[in-house]
Amino acid sequence: MKIRIKMIGPLMYEAGFSEKEMDIPVATTAEKLLDRIDISKQRPKIMTRNGKAIAPDEILEDGDKIAISPIYSGG
Amino acid sequence: MVSNIKQDIWNFSGYGGIHMTGWTGNILRVNLTAKTAKKETFSEEFAQKWVGGRGFAVKILYDELKPGIDPLGPDNKFIVALGPIAGIPAPNTGKAVVAAKSPLTGFYGDGNLGTRVSEHLRKAGYDALIVEGKADRPTMLYIEDDKVEFLPADEIWGRGTYAANDWIYGKYGKGVGVLNIGQGGECLNRYAVVRSLEGRAGGRPGMGAVMGSKLLKAIVVKGTRPIPQADPQAMRALGSGDLKKVQKIDKETGWSIQSTTGVLSFCNEVAGLPVRNFRKTHHPDAWKIDGERLNNARVATYGCPNCTMRCGITIHDHEGREAELDYENIGLLGANLEIFDLPQVGSLNYLCDEYGLDTMSAGCVLSFYADAIDHGATSGDFKFGDAERAKELLRMAAFREGEIGNLLAEGSRRMAREFGHNSEAYAMQVKGLEVAAYNCKFIPGQALAFGVAAIGAHHREAWIITFEIKHTTRESYGPEKAAKVIELQRIRGGMFETLVACRFPWIELGWPLDNYPKYFNTVTGLNWTLDDMWRTADRIYSLIKLNYLREFPGTTRKADYPPAVWFDPSNADTEGPIAGKVLDAEKYDGLLQHYYDQRGYDKRGIPTKDTLKKLDLVREAAEAEKCGKLT
Repeated sequence: MKIRIKMIGPLMYEAGFSEKEMDIPVATTAEKLLDRIDISKQRPKIMTRNGKAIAPDEILEDGDKIAISPIYSGG
Repeated sequence: MVSNIKQDIWNFSGYGGIHMTGWTGNILRVNLTAKTAKKETFSEEFAQKWVGGRGFAVKILYDELKPGIDPLGPDNKFIVALGPIAGIPAPNTGKAVVAAKSPLTGFYGDGNLGTRVSEHLRKAGYDALIVEGKADRPTMLYIEDDKVEFLPADEIWGRGTYAANDWIYGKYGKGVGVLNIGQGGECLNRYAVVRSLEGRAGGRPGMGAVMGSKLLKAIVVKGTRPIPQADPQAMRALGSGDLKKVQKIDKETGWSIQSTTGVLSFCNEVAGLPVRNFRKTHHPDAWKIDGERLNNARVATYGCPNCTMRCGITIHDHEGREAELDYENIGLLGANLEIFDLPQVGSLNYLCDEYGLDTMSAGCVLSFYADAIDHGATSGDFKFGDAERAKELLRMAAFREGEIGNLLAEGSRRMAREFGHNSEAYAMQVKGLEVAAYNCKFIPGQALAFGVAAIGAHHREAWIITFEIKHTTRESYGPEKAAKVIELQRIRGGMFETLVACRFPWIELGWPLDNYPKYFNTVTGLNWTLDDMWRTADRIYSLIKLNYLREFPGTTRKADYPPAVWFDPSNADTEGPIAGKVLDAEKYDGLLQHYYDQRGYDKRGIPTKDTLKKLDLVREAAEAEKCGKLT
């Protein structure tokens, strides 16, 4: 299935892309998606699906828009 | 030291002050009317009770200003206040607090800005400067150690901040500390800021207008003496080592590549971006002005003194000038005006900096004007997306040019009261101060953070959006959100504003908080913990509330409400992550009560007598009771 993934802020330089479509197996969780992206596991981050926060064990669905952002703190 | 003799140069003998480490123990009091300068000492009790920066400023203004004075009259006082670690080489200590009674909000107002004044004023032997009265002609104050000069500023009066600053550097060299104002401050625009080109701008609630009202164009400071410290060698080793460590973390995380501007994409994703006077929460063209595009257009990077993570990204604006941008600027002068053209946003930002206007309030004032025209509350020719007209309006607001310029210079709340037609509901401000670039149409905790921010809707006191979205549910109006706001107010609005230092190493890079009591203890010889810092912070928040009560004795809890449009179902998004949702007024009131309960405030949001006693504010409470009732 296809999802669209957006990397925010400095994560885009670490991952090597800012936004792209990605083919992933059915029943991939949010946490497993991170295995397919070249960013540090230790780095604090927040993942959203269609604008809403998503937990690591939630299963992604076809057409989801996923954003991965560092933990911003409002300057 | 004070005298009735008017003279242009004052010269103090000796270093003076009482023996104290960490603080110089001195305040410089200058009267522009009488042209007098006086070095005053303060007690160790005062130092430890109020620490510095915002703490000093709020206490001095509370004690010395009568309620009801005209903030743009000679009775107001302009304060520059520093803290025990200000100016000492350590992570991000190159900041100063500027404060006065605000002409925008009508009560205590302040702001911080990066400036070499921080280091120089301390080296000159002062922890604070109080400017009183009004000069009889445009004046520049020059302070060099014990010498204080009142100099004519006719050559730079009427000039923008860039030209004025260059003139000052030409006269004194680039190493001095400078605070100055642009035409906005001179013309008493109510959201005029104080500028310092070594850093940026500060004093959102019209601190630049207060300088302008005193005909004070600039303050130039040169200090040459050591700052008294309990253990200077230990502080040097600690501070210089930590400067390198924080720089390393910044490099590793890549934070400075986009600095604060990365958050625009995040806000756009989660429906928290101000678009079209906060009517919308996201926009498909937001990417055109995001951190990635900004970094690609970068021509230079600027930071404050002692900065470890320079956040000022400079681009060429539409006219080819260098314009320095951060998130608040692209959010409020870009998305909020539906101007998705980065060089044009740069131009608007450049003009604000040149005229010395607060970019946040300017963005909200223009968006409110366009929205009011859209909704028939007034007539005019300004539309969202019109960058060229926005530039003209900024000039008119700065110079108070014509009827429209005069109106725009007043800020959105006064404009709304002039327009009528219920337009105050969508004037994006709290207590008169315009909202920072976070759209809380459905972010209850952050809406509370704006509602109860000490000086009006500023983001520097508490920002909890990621916490709300990641660690709680967005729909919650529970006590955990009130607790988070208080936790952050203590850290951001309290500790960092009193020490005085930039919060970024901690907040953006995770530099541990316990480093700050360590710095404080090394320079003062005291043994404070973070809890001591929080107690000071609570005292400061309570005194600002007492200041508010004295100015507005009939205040109610409604003063702590965010703009009404965030509660209006007809303003709900029609698509996206928060489609159909707005803040719930009844639940917000419950959240506000959680905040009051945890703070020890009464139902109006005023500290109770018991709370004031616990914070050692009994004398201040007695003063407040002369104007308003305490419970």
